[in-house]
Parts: sequence; structure tokens; C-alpha cells
Amino acid sequence: MSNSVSALLSATFYEPGYDHLVELVHQRDPEARRRLASLDLSAYGPDGKLLLEHGLDTREETLDLGALLAPTAREHGRVMAVFDARYEEDAFPYRPHHYAYVHRAGSATPALYYAVSAALGGVPDRIGDMSRINNFDTYVFRRGPHAARYSVMLGNVGRFAPTEAQVFAYYGAERVEETVPLGPRAHAEVALAPERGGQPLTRVETKSLFRLAGYVAGRRDPSGDLVLFDHLFTFFK
Amino acid sequence: MGLRKLAKRVLGVQRQPTYYLPWLTRPHLQCALVLSNVESRFKVGYNRGSFPVSVVQYDADGAVAGRHEVTLPDAVEAVELPLPSAPGGCGFATVSGERINSDLYVTLSDGLAYTATHGRGEFIERYALPGRLLLAMIGGLLGLAGRAIPAFVRHQYAYVGPDSRSHLLVMNLSNVTNRVRVVASWEGRVLGARLLRLPPMGSTLLDIGTFGSASGGTATEVWRLRLEGAAWFNLYVVGAGARNLEGPLSLMHVK
Repeated sequence: MSNSVSALLSATFYEPGYDHLVELVHQRDPEARRRLASLDLSAYGPDGKLLLEHGLDTREETLDLGALLAPTAREHGRVMAVFDARYEEDAFPYRPHHYAYVHRAGSATPALYYAVSAALGGVPDRIGDMSRINNFDTYVFRRGPHAARYSVMLGNVGRFAPTEAQVFAYYGAERVEETVPLGPRAHAEVALAPERGGQPLTRVETKSLFRLAGYVAGRRDPSGDLVLFDHLFTFFK
Repeated sequence: MGLRKLAKRVLGVQRQPTYYLPWLTRPHLQCALVLSNVESRFKVGYNRGSFPVSVVQYDADGAVAGRHEVTLPDAVEAVELPLPSAPGGCGFATVSGERINSDLYVTLSDGLAYTATHGRGEFIERYALPGRLLLAMIGGLLGLAGRAIPAFVRHQYAYVGPDSRSHLLVMNLSNVTNRVRVVASWEGRVLGARLLRLPPMGSTLLDIGTFGSASGGTATEVWRLRLEGAAWFNLYVVGAGARNLEGPLSLMHVK
């Protein structure tokens, strides 16, 4: 191993009742040359309380989040799972990717496949450059009506620093703002009204002092099954 | 000069920057693109006025199934473009417009809720005639043995559970007939191999069930897929639920 390793901090959210598998390395070659130097998982409650720490075997290919977190999530509700990876840039010139597969057990809603949100590190020429803003994200929606509810899930992966996230939802020309305080390792799901004044939800933006783990979520009515779990777009690059 | 660069030069390959999104229609699913140019509002000098966008929809055989001209009224307004069904029921659509690079979505709706993913800014490979003939000859010979030229290799996990699974939409992003060999394995055992023959700009929906079925346990199995093809290709993961391909589906880009 090189004495110069890079780091990547990624996070996702686990809810009980879901089959949720995370690829430790996306597109690993069969010879397993593309292997992380180390990978640790920690799980946090909505208030940032540490609920679990677990060192992962980097020889494994996928992680069954449910097997690890279901008992914790049944007790505490939604859990933020933080992945702290170390890797060599020779093996991952861009950065390693964790992709994941999520499906509500028994549901007819389709399985979703998504990229785990990378919050810190990983792309030295982008995230590491503090002169560029990478904490302003956008997502656009189809116009309804849809039998689904939308939200953004935000997590503060900072270990010591609290922050505030601003969430702006757009309905035609109207903008609705909500400020969400997030302590260290705290997380929240911010509901977005499907319409306002007869205008459908068309866009959401999030801003924060530093980069958060973030997803847009869509839940089918009335079951609440996830039909959308996707990253927002950062445009300042 | 590396081997890949040398081969590109010999084959006369040009890479044409292209933004594309997959499309997929089923009798119970509507497919629509969500087009916008949100990115432009942060580009001083390019964030005013309307933005013309051209969409070309290719069917599974690689034929142009439709051309659509759309005007985005401003830098934030999104326009929805329903895509009609076309032969094969799947394919990809290219999107061109000045400074449109990201944040375009493809959605699949069952009329009640929709799933969504975004497109990719990559390229289409254009081979000159000698290169096309050479690949056709070598690819045809290897195809007789069920093999493909392994110029491009991708690895992808596939998920097979008791009530969900992931399929693949494989797209040939080149102007040559692209033979793509797919080998599925699980726990070190080869489950099966398929040789896909994708016409230029063609696509196919690869049903993971054609490689076999899950072992019958309650846990979701993670299968390894290795794909190798002669020319540039890419894939989207197609997620299915308890009703498999007869139910609502999702699409997802991969790196």
C-alpha cells in the first residue's frame, strides 16, 4: 500500500422494511485489483447520535445494510449510514463509487439503483478546491398530479460543525424557503408540498455552508414506497 | 502511443460528443423526457433568452424513430417531452442544444407515480468504412464461437431477489454493428453467457432472467455481469418489482 491514500466520505439513509444493498466498489473487476484500502461504516440517528460503528471487510463486494441496521432502525427510525473509505488514487483515478440497490420488500414498486452521495473528499480537483462552491444543488420534477410525495433528505456528515440547510421549493414563480438546522451527524427529511396555490412543485434547491449528503426522495401514495431516491445536481464545478 | 490509441487511428474512429438518455416503453408505462437548461443560469452571458433543443429518438434497431424540436422558454423552466413507443420498445435519445450538458431526465410513469434518472454526456463513436468492414469481419468470425472483440469491458452487478430484480438496457453508441458478450456468474459459478448483436445505434433490454433464476432463498442475490464489446457501448440498470417487467420499472445511469 502507498503511504499516500485518499479519502472519501459518503452517506445514505436506511429505513426499515427495505432490501438495501450497497456495492463497496462499483464495477470491481473480477481479479479484485480495485480494492479499497479500508472502509468503515457508522450509523447515526436523526439527532446525530452515534448508533453503530462497524469496520467492513474490503474483500466483500456488497453490504446488506438491512442485515446490519434493521434492528437499529426499528428502534430509532431512519438511520444515516456514513461510509468512510480510504483508497489509493492509482487504483481509483477519479474516486471509488458506491452504488446501491433498494427495494421495499414485497412491493410492486420497482427496485431503485442509485449512487451513494459523496459528501467529502474523493475528487481532489473539485471538492477539495475550496474556491469553488459545491454546496448548492438543484433537482427538477415532472409536473403532477402524481400520487406521490416528495422530499429531500439531508445529512450533516461533519463531525464537529453544526450547519443550517436552506431548502427552496419552487411552484411557478413562487419560492418557498425552509431552514433546517443540522447538528454534527444529524439528518432530516424535509417534506415538499406537491403544490401551492394551484401550481405544482417544479424544482427544489438546497444550500448550506458546506456540502451535505443529500437525496431527493419520492414516495408513492398511499404505501409510502420509495419510487425516487436520487442525488441532486451541483452546477458550480 | 498506446494500443487503444493505435487501434482507434487504424480503424479511423472519431468520437462525437453526445448527450443521450435511454428510453423504454411498455404497454403500461409512459416514457417522457424532462428537458431544462438550469445549468445555464449560472453562466454569465448565456443565461438569458430561450433555448432550442433537438431530440433524436433511436429505436432498438438503431433507426431514427422520431425527431423533436423543443424550445425551453428560459433558464429554469423545464419542458416535458413524451416519447412515443417505437420498434423494440427501447433505445436511446440524443439531445443537442447550445450549452446543454446536464440535468436532463428520463422518466417512466405508470400514470400514478414516476421513476427518474438522468442522461449522460459522452460520445458516439464513428468508424470510417474500412474500420466498419474490419470489425464486421472479425466480429462475425468471433461471433460464430459466441465471442466478441473485448475492446471495451464493463463490470456490473445484477440483483435477483424474491420480489425484485435488475435488468440491463444495453446501448450501442457507435455506427458499427456491435457484438457484446455478457457473462453472468454467481459465487464463482458461471450462470450463462449471451452474445448480443446490436445494430449501429441500436439497443436491447437484457432480461436477467434469461441467465437463470434465483436459488430460491429469501435473500437478494448479487450476480456479477461482465460485458465486453468491440465498440463503445453503455448500459442503464432497469429496476423491477414484484411484477417484474409487467409492472412499473425504473432506470438508472451508472458510471
